[in-house]
Amino acid sequence: MTQTSTRMAAVIRDLQKHYVLKSETVRALRGVSFEVPEGDYVAIMGPSGSGKSTLLNLLGCLDQPTHGSFLLGGDDVAQMTDDELSTIRASRIGFVFQSYNLIAQLSVVENIEVPLYYMGNLNAQSRKRSIELAKMVGLGERLDHRPTQLSGGQQQRVAIARSLVNDPYFILADEATGNLDSVTTEEILALFQRLNDEGKTIIMVTHEDEVAEHAKRVIRLRDGEIQFDKPVEGRKVFTAEQIQEIAHNADVASRGAE
Amino acid sequence: MRYFRTVKLGTKSLLLHPMRSLLTVLGIFIGVASVIWLLAIGEGISKEAQRQIEDLGAENIIIRSIKPPDESGGNFRQITAFGVTRNECKLINDTISTVKRVLPIRELSQKFAYTGNPNVKPVDGRLVGCTADYAEVTRLEIERGHFLTTREVELNRPVCVIAAKLAERLFPSEDPLNKQIYLPEKKENFKIVGVLKHRNATAAIGGSLAAQDFSLDIYIPVTTMRARMTDQETKRAGGSFSTKLFELSQITVQVKSSDDVPRTAELVEATLRQNDADRQDIAVVVPYELLEQAKTTRLMFMMFMGLIAAISLIVGGIGIMNIMLATVTERTREIGIRRALGGKQRDIVLQFLVETITLSIVGGITGILMGLLCPVVVDVSRWGLEYFAPQLYASLPEVARVMRPTIVPISIPVAFGISVVVGVFFGLYPAVRAAQLDPIEALRHE
Ligand SMILES: Nc1ncnc2c1ncn2[C@@H]1O[C@H](COP(=O)(O)OP(=O)(O)OP(=O)(O)O)[C@@H](O)[C@H]1O
Ligand SMILES: [Mg+2]
Repeated sequence: MTQTSTRMAAVIRDLQKHYVLKSETVRALRGVSFEVPEGDYVAIMGPSGSGKSTLLNLLGCLDQPTHGSFLLGGDDVAQMTDDELSTIRASRIGFVFQSYNLIAQLSVVENIEVPLYYMGNLNAQSRKRSIELAKMVGLGERLDHRPTQLSGGQQQRVAIARSLVNDPYFILADEATGNLDSVTTEEILALFQRLNDEGKTIIMVTHEDEVAEHAKRVIRLRDGEIQFDKPVEGRKVFTAEQIQEIAHNADVASRGAE
Repeated sequence: MRYFRTVKLGTKSLLLHPMRSLLTVLGIFIGVASVIWLLAIGEGISKEAQRQIEDLGAENIIIRSIKPPDESGGNFRQITAFGVTRNECKLINDTISTVKRVLPIRELSQKFAYTGNPNVKPVDGRLVGCTADYAEVTRLEIERGHFLTTREVELNRPVCVIAAKLAERLFPSEDPLNKQIYLPEKKENFKIVGVLKHRNATAAIGGSLAAQDFSLDIYIPVTTMRARMTDQETKRAGGSFSTKLFELSQITVQVKSSDDVPRTAELVEATLRQNDADRQDIAVVVPYELLEQAKTTRLMFMMFMGLIAAISLIVGGIGIMNIMLATVTERTREIGIRRALGGKQRDIVLQFLVETITLSIVGGITGILMGLLCPVVVDVSRWGLEYFAPQLYASLPEVARVMRPTIVPISIPVAFGISVVVGVFFGLYPAVRAAQLDPIEALRHE
């Protein structure tokens, strides 16, 4: 194994995923290889059916490849049992979904704690950490609220706080802004950038060029293969003032909504 | 901490649909309560039956005289004696060593009157000729005065002891002791020397031994009865007369030890049937054997009750399963989220099991509480029935009026255990199904 200068959050080699159906075999991924160094901010793009979600499911350890390897912190995920995959998901991966996917019965802070619950790490300290994360995403005043009492943007911010609670190797976001309007999308993207600036690795799937422009690197898929993998030219970056302002507005908005 | 969280979460999920959870709990509640109720009532009934049989005396053998059906079509010149005789009574007493004593009893239905009070109407009752031992063997208790004494029996004294209810009817405002009771059909007077306490009726046993009421009885010395009324009894029924000739209505054989009862019963039967094996005018009743039978019947009865209760618990369990299957479908998305966030299959199984177990435990505990209320509820509803529908109440069988539901202690842990087992059993399938969902599919579920 070669030692690279930067540490790798994920290393993918010749990843293939075939779905065997009755009449045919769908080759959703046909051999994809790339590396994601720590601190990277990757946008995965491509037309519908090109294999983006399939790839993300593999990266998220929700599924196992038909062929190839996926190294996550030195462990090959392709060889793991269902329980081991669950443990990896609880401890090393942060998920942000298009439809937020919060649990309706739980409050904001309890939702943030769920991965810790499955790691068996619930204690007073973890509760403090969850509260801090809620504050960080601007929901410090709504710790006891239920998901149904929050707007879409707020729910997504809870989801982002949740994805951070286990200090993951990377955050996986599948169309995380797909359900949000442009203002709220900016809000979420500003949050992602802030997290990335602090060193978090982010991998997101998106259809929209405006969203992808905020990433550092774009991987474009086509028919289950990488069409190109290149840095974003003329990346859009929020300035520190913008981030502050967006955060402030979001804060005001969430208070005003009470 | 973690299990506490799981239980808390389960409770929250259940409270999300309070009505649905309530109905599910109701299924188990009814099941558990009915286990306890049915067993308590079953126990109460068989206890009552046992008591009634025991009142006949487990160490007694009862021989009843039975009037054979009229064959000659009412030719009253040809009157034949029937039933057990004084000689046979003496024979049994003298020849069977395991016999402690033998009581001769002769019963007649009579009208009783008290002439001292013109407002009191004559009462239909039962005149019982007996000996001094009768009270002890039949467990009659004296309220005032004394029971017939051996001396009174030997001297053919015209004295009597009357039952409590009869005393109330004939002497609503007077002290019955030392008053004279008049028998209009016999034109005889008897002096009251004792009044009995109230007493519950004994069991009716097959066709041979009717339930004995005791409440309108008058006891006189059997010797006095013979001297004044002879063995022939003529009754006017409608326009015609019917005449019966019999020495005794019953003899009660008391055995020294109840272990000897079956053997003694055989000897008694053999003695009575030595001349005529097919004798139809007597019936031998052995309460001891009936008691043994009643115990077996009780076991069957309890098993039957248990079966019914078990069925209602299973129905409750199916209710749980039904709801949980619907819940799993409804919460497919949540399951997907939990799996994505690191929940293992067994975590999901546990989560849903905790919910079903919570439902069944709540149903179980409330069901037990309801079950424990059984005696109270039975009393209250009896009281209500007696108050609001006295006729209906009176038409209830004796046992339904007097039996006391007896909570069978074992039924409580058993009912609770079954409710939990039902929860686990019927919750397991939906929970495992939930856990086996593919996380990706589940996440995509709308
Ligand atoms: N469970 C499955 N069974 C069979 N075929 C599948 C399955 N999941 C995905 N596919 C197929 O694999 C290919 C890639 O699907 P994928 O969902 O990865 O596309 P995508 O790039 O995410 O598309 P979109 O942008 O529409 O979400 C498609 O042809 C799809 O039909
Ligand atoms: Mg997709």
